[in-house]
Amino acid sequence: MTDAAISRSTRALLLLLAVELVVFGLFGRNFLTLGNAFEVVRASVELGLLALALTAVIATGGIDLSVGSLVGLCAVVFGWLAREAGLAVPIAAALAVLAGTLGGLLNGWLVTSLRVPPLIVTLGSYSLYRGLAEAATGGVANYTGFPDGFLSLGQGTLWGGIPTQLPLLLLAFLFFWALVHRSVIGRGLQAIGYAPEAARHAGVPVGARLRLVYVLSGSVAGVASLVYVARLGQAKADAGTGFELMAITAVVLGGTSIFGGHASVPGTLVGLFVLALLQNGLRLADQPAELAGVLTGMLLLLALVLSRERKPS
Amino acid sequence: MTRRALSLLLLVAAAACRGGGGGASSEGLTVALMPKNKGNPYFVSCRQGAEEAARELGVKLIWDGPTETDAAKQNEVVEAWITRGVNVIAVSVENREGLSTVLRKARGRGIKVLTFDADALPDARDFFVNQATPRGIAETLLEHTSRILGGKGEFAIVTASLTAANQNEWIKEIRELLASKYTGLKLVDIRPSDDDRKRAFDETQSLLKAYPNVKLVMAIASPAVPGAAEAVKQSGRNDVKVTGLGLPNDAKPYLKDGVLDSVVLWNTQDLGYLTLYAANALARGTLKSGATSFEAGRLKSLRVEGDNILLGTPFTFTKDNVDRFDF
Repeated sequence: MTDAAISRSTRALLLLLAVELVVFGLFGRNFLTLGNAFEVVRASVELGLLALALTAVIATGGIDLSVGSLVGLCAVVFGWLAREAGLAVPIAAALAVLAGTLGGLLNGWLVTSLRVPPLIVTLGSYSLYRGLAEAATGGVANYTGFPDGFLSLGQGTLWGGIPTQLPLLLLAFLFFWALVHRSVIGRGLQAIGYAPEAARHAGVPVGARLRLVYVLSGSVAGVASLVYVARLGQAKADAGTGFELMAITAVVLGGTSIFGGHASVPGTLVGLFVLALLQNGLRLADQPAELAGVLTGMLLLLALVLSRERKPS
Repeated sequence: MTRRALSLLLLVAAAACRGGGGGASSEGLTVALMPKNKGNPYFVSCRQGAEEAARELGVKLIWDGPTETDAAKQNEVVEAWITRGVNVIAVSVENREGLSTVLRKARGRGIKVLTFDADALPDARDFFVNQATPRGIAETLLEHTSRILGGKGEFAIVTASLTAANQNEWIKEIRELLASKYTGLKLVDIRPSDDDRKRAFDETQSLLKAYPNVKLVMAIASPAVPGAAEAVKQSGRNDVKVTGLGLPNDAKPYLKDGVLDSVVLWNTQDLGYLTLYAANALARGTLKSGATSFEAGRLKSLRVEGDNILLGTPFTFTKDNVDRFDF
């Protein structure tokens, strides 16, 4: 995990992004337009939020498979509070984020107190949270009719066509960049991922740090659910299905080691846009969306091959 | 190694996009059609009809959508189509409110919008290609009932649930037609199946015992058809027949047994075919609001009611044609 290796993998990823821009610029219609760039960003914000928070989790050698399900649960909580219980939208939104935070807290508590591996814990909560969302709504309740002010969070634009949710993504990026790369906490996170016992002996409060990243992951899932609901105009138990795997793909593509110990927040963002442009570009080139799955898989395997030399321990 | 891997990827990506670049030329129309779910055989057969019409009309057809029912994906695909620029977007809508916002945006950019199979909010589209009206369904069901019973006799209905909105609308129309046109037929009972095959089976068994004169069971929910047919089959009563409304695949074995006389639904292939014809006419300005009829190729002239284009009389699946369908 030398600096040279980091910049090499990021360079490769940027090159990939450039290849996409060239190929789809040639074959996709209206691909290289500002309007399209904004649409790609708009569609990627929820996934981006999850991926940024997951970067911190994966830095510790952990994983959070429950984020997609938590988006569904928070969406349902928000929808129910705002539409059935008649709460004001800001209060319902705050409570939905709180629900996400509690979900993350449960993950963090199980990981640190019971010492259950995060993969197992969050595999459980992955089913639990989605199950709760489905049970509460019977899988059919679909909350709609949110006020325009709220919907503009997902559908509106700021000056000159910038998607309303873009500042949120930038804010999250700055937060996680500062946390992971510019703070003592961040160095602790990567130290935990590299060698948990050594980190403990070096005085890193491992339990507290781990709880922090899972709680953040849960809160961010709550925020992502609000953006999702505002973008689609509906809150249903299936919100965010499959987001966890897409987000993890973006993180790994971005050069963060799945074993922990090494993370790149900027890389995650580039990884996210590599994936998003792939889907968008294929559509604009009239190619079926299934192809995106095949190419995403190839990209991920390629990223693993490229990072082979960096495998820790 | 990095460079080699990347150039390989570039090649693959370029190959993947081969032929996709042309897009809509200035003279040809591009129509984008989206099902609720690409993998569902119901929509696969819609696609066959749409492709047939696209060939006849020389229209470029883009067919894409979620690989499983996913409201978010529908929004993203429509967004991409707006950016790409197409002449017409036609959608079978999964999420009414959420998708309507994007469809309105498409209309704002001068794209014509149609819905088929499942409608959006009325202001989000130009026309809805409507596969069947309650009146049409009731008429066709009673035609079969009257034919089987020879114009005279008792029958019973197995419905979805007693509160199901669609079914109750059909039953209302059936009662009106019984009073005005089919006076020799007598509806003796309506039983619920709660969209459950087993429940339909039990209810049909008890119907046959309670009403020995009932010679026909009309099952008007998809799972109720095989349930009712199985009950009649096991009763060994050769004098009782089943008809109804449901999917051909459920009905296939019982149609071949002869227990099930016929099952009514719409021809999904024709639905796709009509949708593409409507899209073409809408883009060329030959279909305008206020039209009362519409010429759709081999389907000939079809009725337009308000902003609904009607596919016409439901399609009847019998043992002779059911093998042509797979959904």
